[in-house]
Parts: sequence; structure tokens; C-alpha cells
Amino acid sequence: MAGNFTRGIILEQRKEPALRRKLRTFLNANYAGMLFDSDLPYDGAALSGEQIIELAKLARIVDERDGVFLHEKLEKARQMKIEVVVGDAIDDEPYVSSQMNPLLFMQKETGEGLRLAAKAVGNPKIYFAIYKNLSDMDLKTKLPKDIDGVEIRRIHGRYPAEFRTMDDFDSDGPTVMIGVCSLIHLYRAVYEHRIQSTCFVTVAGGCVANPMNLEVSIGMTPTHLFERCGLAEDPGYVVIGGSMTGEICEDPDNYPVGTMSRAVLALRDEEKKRRYRCIGCGRCAEVCPENLTPFYINRYIELEKYQELAFYDIHRCIGCGTCSYICPAKIDIAENIKLAVAELRRRRRQKEGD
Amino acid sequence: MLQNEPKAPYVRNRDSAFTVMMDVVVALLPLYFMAFYFYGLRALMLGLASVAAAVISDLACVLLEGKRPYPRDISSVVTGMILPLMMSAATPYYVVVSASVFAIVLVKHVFGGVGQSAFNPAAAGFAFAAACWPSQVFSYPAPFSSPAPFGAITEGLASGPAWSLFQGGVPTNDILDLLLGKFLGPMGLTNILVLATCLFYLLFRGAIGWQAPAAFFGIMVVAMMLFPRIPESGPMSLVYESTAGMWIFGGIFMLNEPGTLPKRSSSRIAYGALAAIFTILFQRFGRVEQTFAFALLLTNVFGFTFDRYSERLLRRLRRVYLATRTKLSEKKSAQRA
Repeated sequence: MAGNFTRGIILEQRKEPALRRKLRTFLNANYAGMLFDSDLPYDGAALSGEQIIELAKLARIVDERDGVFLHEKLEKARQMKIEVVVGDAIDDEPYVSSQMNPLLFMQKETGEGLRLAAKAVGNPKIYFAIYKNLSDMDLKTKLPKDIDGVEIRRIHGRYPAEFRTMDDFDSDGPTVMIGVCSLIHLYRAVYEHRIQSTCFVTVAGGCVANPMNLEVSIGMTPTHLFERCGLAEDPGYVVIGGSMTGEICEDPDNYPVGTMSRAVLALRDEEKKRRYRCIGCGRCAEVCPENLTPFYINRYIELEKYQELAFYDIHRCIGCGTCSYICPAKIDIAENIKLAVAELRRRRRQKEGD
Repeated sequence: MLQNEPKAPYVRNRDSAFTVMMDVVVALLPLYFMAFYFYGLRALMLGLASVAAAVISDLACVLLEGKRPYPRDISSVVTGMILPLMMSAATPYYVVVSASVFAIVLVKHVFGGVGQSAFNPAAAGFAFAAACWPSQVFSYPAPFSSPAPFGAITEGLASGPAWSLFQGGVPTNDILDLLLGKFLGPMGLTNILVLATCLFYLLFRGAIGWQAPAAFFGIMVVAMMLFPRIPESGPMSLVYESTAGMWIFGGIFMLNEPGTLPKRSSSRIAYGALAAIFTILFQRFGRVEQTFAFALLLTNVFGFTFDRYSERLLRRLRRVYLATRTKLSEKKSAQRA
């Protein structure tokens, strides 16, 4: 419950109707043949921890949470004597439900996948983690207490929630977090010897006619997905990733959707381009989850006084975009900070090179 | 890449700089209604003249700087609306207009415009008018005397309860009249309930933060109750001071001016407290009857410094916190092994 006192913003979740709709598949013809050869039995109970890690390596599973190979993650967790394994289904950004939805509609696979991962690490405690905004009033889906016998922990509080999830499990011991989608792939690697060739994405946004979660073959383009779900109108712009931290997709016809994409959003360009000046209200400092002062950081970036930025601890910025969200002058503070951090890194490298 | 391509995050808060400023304008409108009720058309005309002068000089400054004007920047309207409310209803038009022009040109735009000014423009404009034309600014017509909407007013002016307090005497006004705002005073000092409603409206809308007003009003109320400067009991002193003095109005509308207010909550509390201390000191040892604007101008100087010190403290706390956390986790893992 400690999360309720953290700083951040309360966001309209906008996950419905994609969250309550059944997960659908949208695969290309290669899917059926994507199997690897192994002498290991198709049975999780008969496998040892090392064998599960070996299967994860053969299946080339990538964790959608951080882009790390699952077998590397499990190996490291095993060496570090991890005591808690958490299946991460924390979709704290609006529109995105590509971890929660598979968790709800593929309960057997995710539950068994988490148990397999736990076995590979060395039988620690296991939980699933789901984000709880303020209430579930905006969700039409009833969230269960447990998935296939595994307890669900709710991560409370404001956005951003994902970066402080580790603190919630701190009392239980060292924790490793594994994305739910990669747990499904782990299940398939063990029981079907299947290579990961798909990823889970939410197709949503104001311009999508039927927002839903899809399991798609890696390499499909946003245009394919929009054809599958239908466009109600021409999108103003297409965003890959979450609505808070994602990036603009400039070429939806050719961009390959991958494991880390998580969501493809077709958003209306409804915000009128109005010019404002910073009025100095300081709301950015009130909401920053890292307790920084984006107001001064942004001002010194605009004045190009980069030497001042270290004093304001710019390197502790987690890039959540909260300051840009709240800014009444609509200044792209988060973007400015991102560019300034890159510039600082470049300068430091240049200095080291001299 | 397109110049105007949207940047992450793609969902944004509905509040804009326009709505934040508009909230203050909306909160000021009831005060103008009350001023109209007490002093007739002249109150509105003074407000209109001040706002027009502020907007025109703001536009002129922006154009002189060679920038495109910002059509949805109404901070000059707010400054123009606050200024006449601090003055008498009989103030000549040239005083109001020149105070307004001074505030915008020499206080706001010399320092770089919206959100950059080092001093509160409205307070500086009032200080300018009070220093140049004290007799016009501080002599008030009686409520319901309906001063002529245009032209100079010289007859029927007197000083109000604030002058008596300044002289160390007890005002002779009826308590109920004071609370209802029916006394000789600036236009903005009206019904105390209307002012309280404005404060709660602004707090509820999030247009102002709670930190600075809480510290300011807290210290002011305690000081007025415990150390009255007139021979009266504490609560009575509070009633006289809060109705006749400008600090309630200023604590709502001027202390929280976003440009000069510090950004961190800890420094906001210190800032509000310092403003209260300066106001009390100016009341005791000052040479004018309305002291808040001068105290606020002095407090403005410390805004940035407070932020700097608060940031330094925060940096240190952050490092201590991180160090203890790593130490704790190391201890835990050592225990396990």
C-alpha cells in the first residue's frame, strides 16, 4: 500500500475495450514450422533447472520487459540466489494491456511458465504483479485473486509504477522480474519445443475501430495490424510502445513490430498546436517520481548551461514523461532532458577521447 | 523529421497555461462584482483601464522584442485585474494606468516576460503607485457613495481602518461591517467569505499550491492573535488586521504568482513564512498603511535562493538515503550467506 503515497500522476487508463476482449492470434505461415530439435522430454516436471535454461536458450526467448535474453536472466538469477520471481504484468501506461491480457486469457500457460522459471532459478517464491491505478472502476474486466494457483500482487499508486516494483517485493528478498509474455514463450519452449517467433501487442488508440490485443508474428508492420483491427479514420500519427514513453513510427508500412514493441497506437492528431510560454508554476517538480526539479533542468537546457545540470541530478531522470504530461505550457521537458543527457554523454566521451 | 511532430508522452493533461491563468481571472471576477456593488461603475472602469493598459503594453513589449505574440498568454490580464483592487475606488485613471504600464514594462518584460520576472509585477506596480501618489491611492470614498465613473474625485475621501491601525489606534468600525467589507478601504478588501471562497476555488482547481498560503496565513494568524499591535484582545486584533490589511487578498492572489514562487514545496513553505515575517515587521516599523506588497517584493528576492538551498538539501538527503539502502541490502545478503 506504500505506493499510494508516492509521487506521480493519476492517468486515465483507457485500457478498455482491448483488455476485456479475447486475445487473438495473427500469424504468418512460418509459425507452424518454428520448432527446434532437442532430446529433452516434453514435460516440465521431468526437467531440471539447467535443462529449462537450455531450452530457453534454444528457443531464443527475449524478455519483453527489458530486452534481455531469458536464459541469461535465469542463469544470472540462479547464480545470485534469487528468492522471489515475479511475473511482470504491470501495464501502467494508458492504452497498453499487452501483458495483462495474455495473463488473463492464457492462465494455464503463464502460471506453468512462471513455475518453470522458478524451477530454473531454484524454487523461490513466485508472484504475479499487476498495476492497480486508484480503483478498477475504469476496467470492465474482473481481475482474479490468483492465476493458476499463483498469487497476484497489486502494485498500487500513481504512474509511473513499474520502476518501483522492486521496492514492493524488497521485504521478501532479492527479486527478479520476468515479463509475462516471455513466460508464455518459455511454456511453449518446454512443452512444444517452439522457437519464439511471436510477440504480444496491443492495437489501440482513437483511430482504431476494434482495439484488441494480438499475438503477432515478429516482423509484421503496423499497417498489417491496422488492417486486422480496422481503422475508423486515418491516424494522425502512429506510436510504437506505450503512450507515455513510446516513439513515433514514421513509416508504418515498413516498420517491423518486435518483442519490445508492446503496443501499436493509432492516435488522433487532436491537440491543437498552441504556443505557450513557461509560466513557472512548478507542477513538474510536484509530480516528478524521482523528486527532481524539471523546471530548473529545462531552463538550464534552454540557456545551454550544461554545467549546471549535474547539480540538479539530471542523470537520475528515469524518462517517464510525467513532467511533460503535467506541463500546462505543453513544453516537451522529458524530450529536452533526454537530448541533454545524450549531449552530456557525448561531451564526456569527447573529453575522454582527447 | 517534421518540426511540429508530437513528442512523448502522447497523452497530455488537459490543463494549459491558459486555463491556469483563467482560473485566477475567474476567482477575481467576484471581487469585481463586489467592488461594483460597493462603488458602482467606476470600479469596473478602473479595472478595464488597467487591464487594457497591461495588455497593450505587454503586446508592445513582445513585438519590440521581435517575437510573435502569444495570443493565449493572459498573465498580463491577471496583473491588470489585481492592480486596481489594491487601490481606492477614487484613484485617478492615470495612476492606475501608469502603475499597470510600469508593472508590465519595467518589472515583467525587463526580466524576460512571463514566468521570468524577478519581482511580482502587480506588487511592484502597486509599490510604484503608492510611492508616487500616496494621497490618491490611500484616500477612500465611502461604500455606496457611488463615485462618478469618470473624472477626478476630490470630495468625500477619507482614510480607513488601516490608517487607524497604522497609527496604533482601534478602528471605530462595526465588526460586522468590517467582515462584510463595508468600510473605507481598497476595492479588493471585501466580504471575507468571498475572499475565502476565492482561496478555496483556486486551491481546489490546483491553480495554486497549498504550501505557501498555509505557511503565510498560519504565521500571520498566530502573530495577530498573540502579539496585537493595538490595545485589544487577540481575536479582535485578528479581525481588525485581517479585514483592514491587504495580506489576505495578497496571500491569495499575489503570493502565489507562479513566476516568482519557488518551485520546491519545502522552499515554498519557507517563502510563505518569510513573507509573513516581513509583513509583520513592515506593519510594526513601516511607513505605509498597506505593507503586504512591499513585504512581498522583498520576499521575491529570496525565491531562487530558497530553491537552490532546498535542492542542495535534497541532493544530500538523496545520497544519504541511497547509501543506507545499499548498506541495508548488503547487510541482508551477508546475513543470508
